[in-house]
Amino acid sequence: MNMQEQMKTLDYDVLVVGGGIAGGESALNLANIGYKVLIVEKELSIGGKMILLSKVFPTLDCAACITTPKVSEIARHPNITVFTGAEPLKITKKGEHRFEAVVLQNPRYVDVEACTGCQLCEEACPVSVTDEFQFGLIGRKAAFIPFSIASPRVAAIDIENCILCGACERACPPDCIDFTQTEQKYLVKAKAVVTATGFKLFDPLKIPRYGYDKFDNVITSMQMERELAPTRPFNTVLRPGDGKMPDNIAYVLCTGSRDKSVGNPICSQVCCMYSIKQAQLLMGSLPMADITIYYLHIRAFGKGFNEFYAQAQDMGVEFIKGKVGKITEKDNGNLILRYEDIEAGIVKEAEHDMVVLSVGVLPNRGIDEVFDNETLKLDPFHFINQSDILASPAKTSIDGVFVAGTASGPMDIPDSILSGGAASAETTSYLRREESI
Amino acid sequence: MEVEKGKTAKYLKETRPVPKEVTEHLKYFTKTKKTLLNALKEGDKTVPQLAEELKLPKNEVMFQLMSLLKYGFVETGEIDDNDEYFYYKIKSNGKSKS
Repeated sequence: MNMQEQMKTLDYDVLVVGGGIAGGESALNLANIGYKVLIVEKELSIGGKMILLSKVFPTLDCAACITTPKVSEIARHPNITVFTGAEPLKITKKGEHRFEAVVLQNPRYVDVEACTGCQLCEEACPVSVTDEFQFGLIGRKAAFIPFSIASPRVAAIDIENCILCGACERACPPDCIDFTQTEQKYLVKAKAVVTATGFKLFDPLKIPRYGYDKFDNVITSMQMERELAPTRPFNTVLRPGDGKMPDNIAYVLCTGSRDKSVGNPICSQVCCMYSIKQAQLLMGSLPMADITIYYLHIRAFGKGFNEFYAQAQDMGVEFIKGKVGKITEKDNGNLILRYEDIEAGIVKEAEHDMVVLSVGVLPNRGIDEVFDNETLKLDPFHFINQSDILASPAKTSIDGVFVAGTASGPMDIPDSILSGGAASAETTSYLRREESI
Repeated sequence: MEVEKGKTAKYLKETRPVPKEVTEHLKYFTKTKKTLLNALKEGDKTVPQLAEELKLPKNEVMFQLMSLLKYGFVETGEIDDNDEYFYYKIKSNGKSKS
C-alpha cells in the first residue's frame, strides 16, 4: 500500500468519532483513567449541537455555561488530541484491540497553534456569506471564527467563498493564515473505537405545506434557539421577514417526527420539552407575547419534565391538541394555521405572527460505510444498532466499537451524557480485557 | 519553494481560480452595504422603512442589516411607538474598515 506508506501514523488507545457532548464525555472519562484518545470532529469546533443551544430543560441552565468548561477540559487534557474539520474515511479491524483508521484532515488555512482569535482577519475580510452556525439568519465573513465560544476558538477560511484577496493575511498579527495548507491523511492506530456521530435535524422543506423557506416568518426550532441564545443573531427575538418583534408565536410539534409520510415514524423525544422550554424563555424575553403550542401528545416523561410542562401552563402558554395541515401567509407576513382541533373534532384556523417548526431528530448517515471489513449494523431507522441494549447499551455489532449519544437514537442531553459515560465504561472494560490477557 | 508568510493567497490563486459567483456575491454585498449605510446616514430607520425606500425585499434588508449589526457598522436604536419595529442607526464609534 503505497498511500499508507506516505501517511503519517498516529497511535492512540481509543478513536472517538464525533466531538459533541456524548463523544466528549466518553473521551474525558477514558482520558482521566489514562488512555490516550483521539477525537475526530467534522465541524470546525467541538461541542456538537449543545454548544449552540440557549438553555436546557427542565432546569433552564445556560447551555453554554455547562458546555464551555467541559469543552475546555477536553481541549486542554494531556491525554486527548482533537482534530476538527476532520473525518474518518475508513476504519479497518485488523484483529482484537487492533483498529486502523484513515483520517482526513481538511485544511483550515490557519495555523491553529499560532492564531490568537483576535478576529482582525474577520474585520478585514470583505466577503459576507450565510452563517451556518446562526442557521442562516445572518451573515458571516469568509475569514471567520465559527462562533464566539467555539473550541478551538481560532479562525478558519471558508475557501469556497474566499476571493483570495489576501486582506486577512495582511491584517493578521501573528501571520497565522496559510493558503498553502493542503488536506492531510493520517493512519490512526487504536485499540477501540467510540462512534458518537450525533444526529441531524429534520429538513422542513420536506413538508412544503408548512411553507418553510417560502414564508419568511416560519422558522425552525433551532433558529429560535439561536434567537434566544446570548450570542443571538438579532438584537432581540425578531421576525426574520421584516424585523418585527413578534407577539403571537405558534409552535408546530412533531414536524418530521411520528410521520410516516416523511419516512420518520418515531418520536424524537426532545421536541415537546425544548418547545416548552422555548415558550417559557419567550415569555421572559417578550412578556406581552402569546405562545401557542400545537401538539399531538405531550411527552413529558423524564425527571422533572411534567412539572416543567405544568409550569408552562401556569405561565400562560396555550396548548392546543391539534394537527396542523397547512400554513398560508398574509400580506403583512402573518401566518394562518389550518389545523384539526383533535378534541373538538373540527377543522379550525388561527392567525399568528411567527411560526416555529419543532423539527425532529434524524440519524447522521454514513458512519456504517466507513467500517471496512466488518458490518456496523443499523436499526430500522438507520441509527446505530445497540446489539445488547439492556445489558450493554454501548455495544454494537463490532466487538471493540461502541456507540455513544444520539448516534444510537433520539435522546436528550442528560441521556446523551449518560450514554457517553456508558460507552467509556464499556470501552474501558474491553481495553482491560486485552491488558489481562 | 520558499513560502512568504503573510502573503500566501497568491500561491493558491495560481491553482484555484475564484468562481464568478463568489465575486458577483461580493459585489452585491458591497453594494447593498453601501446603500443601507447611506440610507441610515439620513436618519434612524426601521427594516420596513429601509425596504420601502430602497425598493428591496424586507427579508433581504433584515438579513443584510443584521449582518452589518454583527460586523459593527450599525447599532440598535429605540423601538417605534407601537412596540413593533426597532430603529437602526450608524454606529457612533463605527469603525469603517473592511
